[in-house]
Formats: sequence, structure tokens, C-alpha cells
Amino acid sequence: MKRYLFLLLLSLPAMISAQTIFDRPLSDRITGYDITSILDPVRHTVTGEMTAWWVNKSDKPVNDAMLHMYLNAFSSNKSSFASDGQWSPAGDEGWGYVMIKSIVDGHANDLKNAMRFVSPDDGNIYDRTVLQITLPVPVMPGDTLKLRIVYESKLPSPIIRTGYNEDFYFIGQWFPKFGVYETAGMRQREADGWNCHQFHPHSEFYSDYSVYNVSVTMPVEFVVSSGGILIEETDNGDSTKTIKWRAEDIVDFAWTAWPGYQVAKKKWRGVDITLLTSEKGFKVADNQFTAAINALEYLDARVGPYPWPHLTVVDPPVTGSGAGGMEYTTLFTSAGGGMVPSFLKMSESVTVHEFGHAYFMGILASNEFEEPWLDEGVNSYWEQRIVDASYGDGYGCFNLPFLKLSDSDQGRTSYISNPSKQSATNDLPSWMYPHDTYDMMSYSKTAVWLHTLEGLIGTQTMDNIFREYYRRWAFRHPSGRDFIAVVNDVVKNELGDRYGENMNWYFDQVLYGNEICDYRLSGIKNHKIRSYSGIVDGDSVTFKRSDRSGDTTYLSTVSIERAGGIMLPVKVLVHFDNGDEKTEEWDGKARYKDFEYTGTRQVTWAKIDPFDEIDLDVNRINNSWTENPRFTAARRMTDKFVYLMQMMISILTI
Amino acid sequence: MWIITLVMIMLVALPLKSSFKSVFDHSMAMEKLSGGFDAGLAGDMGKSFGQLMSSASTGGLLLVMAGFLLYTFFAGGLFTRFTTAWGGLKPTAFMKASTQNFVPFLKIALLMCLIIFFYTSLIIGLPAGIMLAVSEGSIPQTGLMIIFYVIWVLGLPVWLSVADYSRRWIAATGSRLAFRALGAGFRALGKRFWLSYFTVLVILILNVMFVCGSMWFTAWSVPQKGLMIFLFFLATQLLFLVRLFMKAWRYATVSQLAAGLKV
Ligand SMILES: [Zn+2]
Repeated sequence: MKRYLFLLLLSLPAMISAQTIFDRPLSDRITGYDITSILDPVRHTVTGEMTAWWVNKSDKPVNDAMLHMYLNAFSSNKSSFASDGQWSPAGDEGWGYVMIKSIVDGHANDLKNAMRFVSPDDGNIYDRTVLQITLPVPVMPGDTLKLRIVYESKLPSPIIRTGYNEDFYFIGQWFPKFGVYETAGMRQREADGWNCHQFHPHSEFYSDYSVYNVSVTMPVEFVVSSGGILIEETDNGDSTKTIKWRAEDIVDFAWTAWPGYQVAKKKWRGVDITLLTSEKGFKVADNQFTAAINALEYLDARVGPYPWPHLTVVDPPVTGSGAGGMEYTTLFTSAGGGMVPSFLKMSESVTVHEFGHAYFMGILASNEFEEPWLDEGVNSYWEQRIVDASYGDGYGCFNLPFLKLSDSDQGRTSYISNPSKQSATNDLPSWMYPHDTYDMMSYSKTAVWLHTLEGLIGTQTMDNIFREYYRRWAFRHPSGRDFIAVVNDVVKNELGDRYGENMNWYFDQVLYGNEICDYRLSGIKNHKIRSYSGIVDGDSVTFKRSDRSGDTTYLSTVSIERAGGIMLPVKVLVHFDNGDEKTEEWDGKARYKDFEYTGTRQVTWAKIDPFDEIDLDVNRINNSWTENPRFTAARRMTDKFVYLMQMMISILTI
Repeated sequence: MWIITLVMIMLVALPLKSSFKSVFDHSMAMEKLSGGFDAGLAGDMGKSFGQLMSSASTGGLLLVMAGFLLYTFFAGGLFTRFTTAWGGLKPTAFMKASTQNFVPFLKIALLMCLIIFFYTSLIIGLPAGIMLAVSEGSIPQTGLMIIFYVIWVLGLPVWLSVADYSRRWIAATGSRLAFRALGAGFRALGKRFWLSYFTVLVILILNVMFVCGSMWFTAWSVPQKGLMIFLFFLATQLLFLVRLFMKAWRYATVSQLAAGLKV
């Protein structure tokens, strides 16, 4: 009885607050959206009404509001998104748009004539992805702006993150959405103002933490899920159903609908994980769960807790592949489950990556438009750590007896083999990277210099940096400078001034600079020290060393060069013929450096960066030098090539 | 035959090996490859990796073409040996027969390759293409494709038997007319179809199993020490010799069948 009463008492608050997820908000909740909508699978539209609200947290009145109208990126071939040819519609049906049919503020003022499209990034007059509304009544500090909007969203096809293909729907960036009103000091900003960028082919998003109450009516045959939790599902009796979701403290709300989805569920600690996938993907559902849980456990232990009680993983079918590999915090899309051979951990690494964004974007909501490295790069670094730790003994991509590849090397290779790696610095806004370098710079290069930083300061300090980054910035909007400040504080705290006053010298080179890193072991020399002989002051001198000792002495020199512009402290492991080893440290600043040893031993080999910690080094082959190189691998590969050719000839000749 | 093939391939493989070695020079990085190829090193090899890959594939293509001619040439001697001189053929006579048969054998080989190519596109390419079109770009159902692969393998002995019967006919008659030989080949197959078919099918299946098994062994074994690599080399060469004998075995069997048929 007592026990029963206790349980009742425990569940009472839960029953009362059944409509909310968290008792206490995780974030400021500056914005919120109550949306009712109808999915029309014939016209491929989502239409309805929404109330959007925004709180003025600044200390001055605000006279305008700025909204993202993302779907208008698909409304013409001259939008900034479509004009570079990355997307074109599948026929006339394929265009997408978001249209405001009516809009009033909380004072019942009609704002329809106060709206205008602006293009703050590139001045493109054809771009209609940013809407500015001049408010007749300014929003006073602490006041809330309420907008009641009747809207129609036409989904694009083909899908690029969002859209439809046949009866598959992925609905993201689909409603008019507030930009972020930044106050002075926030992200090193000088004056208050809206941060609301256009939708570019290479840009992601930036939004405030919100509460979402979303209701969608659609034909009953659709299987659906979203980034929220299910509040209610009603059968309307007319072969439609209405679903109500609620989400809290997330920065974006997306949902998906497809009659063919198979659903699997799993629980990890307090988190209900739901997987929506195709028949093929369902067969390997466990792989997706395992990948997601690997990532949950890894980040939970090293960065901070995943606070939501729900997580939805969508592994879209082939028809919906355009929606694959995208993140919406509590919902993300993977790709290719059951479609690739099981030794390739491709689908798993996409799952790990997209889940990782729940932290780097979801919890730590940096500005993806302006500093893409801070979400994509940081997240790629963690993805590579998780994938390599979870699969293939450190070779996370694949590990066959004759061929292996680690996920971090996969990223590093795409950086070092890119001929344009010096064309830009790493701090450009996402749409400004030249010569198709956005992917390489935002993802690969950043991950490479984060691995290098980990190599310098150690994994423990690195993890503590991210723990502190989480502690200071969770559910806020950190900038790159804020991240660097955390690095400086933690490094100073744990390692003193081993790396100087702060780590700015590092970020100035790797993030704000465009030089490359390449240290080279140019050679080893062992010279016999000769006996002393010659004419000194007119007298002939001969002095045989062997008179003193039976051993020959050598002057050994290990020569190192800095071939790249980046300067990092490096370690050099020197090996002598008697088995001795010595680790040298060098600040890596001069153009060259010689290490000299005198004695009876000779240097046989030496390695710069012996534990491969400097991922930034663009050529690791020139990092070592040995008297006796071993070419056994070359011999084995030659033998295999010979046999392969023999077989090819004998097969192809009938 | 084995030694000529080996020398021919070595002519391509050894320069490849030395340019591969020169990329590493005095570096110790190749030690990272001792337990299988670490693809992460490909980026460090920079441009030379791409160059090596392209010269390996060009070299491979040239080798296959040269090998095709060489093997067609030797098939001439082999069929003569299996047809007229079971006790053995003097090397000079073998070479003479090879030379005589070369042109018609080459024609037959090329024609049969063409036929097998069309046959493959019909049995494998067409269904795969249709399925790809129907499913709008999704990967074809592997389950359904397996049926077509099986059909393909089951049909293959027909073409191989015809090729062998035709070549045997040339060896037996001394004629140099490739098209007539093909006709004779088809007739011979028609006479004792099921016997020829199943004999060649069995030999084919054994050959395929052997090739797959030996390729699997070669790909999967990663010897790391000098002596082991030498033993590995010997093993692969031994496997290749067995493969050559297995191929000659098919020629001999079909020749014997033909002798029994008196064609
Ligand atoms: Zn990402």
C-alpha cells in the first residue's frame, strides 16, 4: 500500500504535466511555434495556421522582425540556392515555396503590406528566402511579439534535405521561422540586430531554442515521425488522421511521412529511440541502434548528457535518399542501411555523425551559416573518434586483412589530397568558400586540426575542453572565439604555460591561417671521427684515437626540415644501433634543425611525430628516415599483382 | 608457358614495384603497410599514388592483351598435341603447330569472346538494366539477379564446348577456315550434346571453384616476413601452374570426346 502510494505520488506530477517534456526549461526559449497543418499528398503541400512568438531579450525596443522563408530557395532558378545549378526541379511540379497568405500581430494589425524580401548576404534581388517585417508597434524590452500567420508550403522535388518523391515526404525548413536577434556582446557582436541569412547551397541554419506544438492532418496510410514526442493521435473517421507533437528546447522541427516505413524501437537509459526505415533497412535495424547508442554513450561520457527522453532515427528508402544524412537534434536521418556490404561501416558512420549534431548544433547551437567549422568540423572530429573506437580495431571505415581505412584517415585524406587546401582560411562564412572547398574546409580540415590539437595536449585535456565547452555554452549560441576561450582556459588550467600564454598561436595558424604543415626528416649521417693529424705550428702531428681506445667514435646527425608554413612543437624519436632510443623535442619554428650525437653508437633510424599525432602533416612518408628501409610490403603486393594478372589472362582467354 | 607468362608480367610488375619503392625511398612508412594496405597512406603518397594506379591498370590491360595472343598461340600446339600426338610432341613440332593454327585460332577466340560478350549482355545486362529502370535507380534485387547469374553459368559450357570442338577440328583437319571450324564445332556439340555439355560444365565448375578459392587465398593472406613472402610467391606460382593444367585438361577432354565422335 505504502509502496503504491509512493508510486502514485511519483507519477502525479507527470500526469499533470503530461503535455510538457521538461519540468524546467533547458534553454531561454526565446521563440515558439504553435502550428496546425494539413499534408496534401496530391498537391504536395502543407498548409495551415501558425502562431509564432519571439521575446525581446534586449534592452531596446525592436522595430522589425526577420523570418527565414527557406522553401523559397526552390521557387525559382534565380534564387541564391538554385542559381549555381545544384538543384533544379523535377518538372513544373517540382518547384517549392512558402507563401504567407495572411499575417497579423498581437494587436490585430495586418502586416501583409509591411513585409519585404531582403538579401543581406549577396544582394540577389531574385532571392526570397529572408523576409523583413516592419512592425507598426515596436516590441519593447521583455515584451513578446506574436505573429498569426496563415501559410502554404509547397514542397520541392527532387528532395534536397526537404521535399517529396512519389509518396515519400521529408518536411524540414517548411514554415516561416524567426532569425536570431543577437544582442551586443553575443558572439562578439558590436550592436544589437537580427542575424538572418539567406539560404545558400552550402549553408545550414541558425535558430533560437524553441517550443513546438505541431499538429498535422494527413491520410491514414502515412507512417510518420518527427523531432517531437507524440501527444495525441486521432482518427478523423474520413480516412485522415491528426497527429499532435510537442518538442522542447530544440532549434528546428522536422517530420517525415511515408506509407512504407517500418518502425523499430529501442531504449537506452532514459532515451526512447525510434527507427523509421525501409524493408531493407529494417533487416539491419540493430546496426542503426548500435551506432546511435555507441555515439550516445561516447558523447555522454566525454562531453555531457543527452537531455531529451526521445530520439528518432530515420533511414530513408531509396526514393527518399535526398533527405539522408541530415540533423534536426532529436531527429536525424541516416543513409544506406542494408544497401552496402556489411564490412563497410558507411551507414553506421552517417548515423554517428548525424547523431553527433545533437551536441554540435543541437545543444551547442553555433551559427552554422557563419562558422560551419564549429558544427560540421567539430562534429566530424567526434564522429571519427567514435567510429574508429567502435568499429574495426581503429580502422572504422573498413578493416579487411589486405585493405583497411580508419575514419580519421578518411577525413585526413580528403584534406591533404585536395589541391585547393590553401585557397582560403577556415573561418569563412559557409557560402564564401572558394573553388568547392566548403566540404573539405568545414568538415575535413577542421577535424584534422582538432586531432592534431588532441595530439599536442592529450586526449584527457581535449575531453575536458569539450566538457567545459558544454558546461559553459549548452543551450546557448557559442562562437568560434568562445570555443577558443574555453580551449585557452582549460589548457592553461591543466598544462600551465607549456604552450605559452594561450593557444591563440595555434588557432591563428590552423583556423585563421591558410598555411600547410609538413615536417621532413631529410637524412641521417654517421661520420667516423678521424684521428688528429696534420701540421700544427710547423710540426707534424699524428694522434691516433685507437691509441686511447679500441672503439671507433662517430658524429651522428639527424636533419629535420620544416617544409610547410605551420609551426608546431614536434617530437623526434631517434634510434641507435645498440638499441638505445631518445625522444627529442623541438619547437618546430626554424626552417631546419640538426640533432647531433657523438659516441660509439650510430643512428640507424629516426621518426618525426613517432605516434602519428600531427594529423595536419600533409606528408607522413617523409617523416621518417632509416638506413635499411624494409620493402616487404612492396614485395608482397608485387606477388599479388603478378598472380592477379596471371589469373586475368587465363580467365579471359577461352 | 608459365615461365613466359611470368617473365612477361614481371616486365610490367618490376618497374611498378621500383617506382612504388622510390616513393617511400628511405622512409619507414611502408612498415605501416606490412599488415595489409592502409588506405590512409594513399593521400600521403600524393600524386604518385594516382600515377602508380594508372600505370598499373594500363600495364594490366597491355598484359591481358599480350597474354590473350600468347595463350591463343599455345592453344594451337596443345590441341594438335591432344589430337594427333598423344605420346607427346617435340618442342619444334609443338611450335610449328602453334604457328600454323594461330590465325584461325585467333579468329575463333575473338569470335567466341564476341559471342560470350553478347550472351552476357543478354542474360545479365538486360535483366539488370530492366530492373534498374523499373526500380528507378535503386540497386537491383540481388535475389532475382542470382537466378540470372546461375542461368549465365549454365549456358557458358555451350560456348566453351563449341570453341574447343572448333579448335580441335582445325587441329585434326589442318584446315585454316575459322567459320567452317565453328560450324563443325556446333555440329560436334549437337551430336553428343548432353555428354559434352555436362563434361564441360563439371570442368568449368571445378575451374571456377579453383580460381575463386585461389584468389580468395591470395587476397586474404598477408605474409609479413621475407621468407613467408617468398613462400607465398611459390604458392601462388604453384596455384597458377595447377590452373594451367586444369585449362589444358578441358582441351584434352574435349579433344578426346571429339575423337570418340569421329568428327
Ligand atoms: Zn554534419
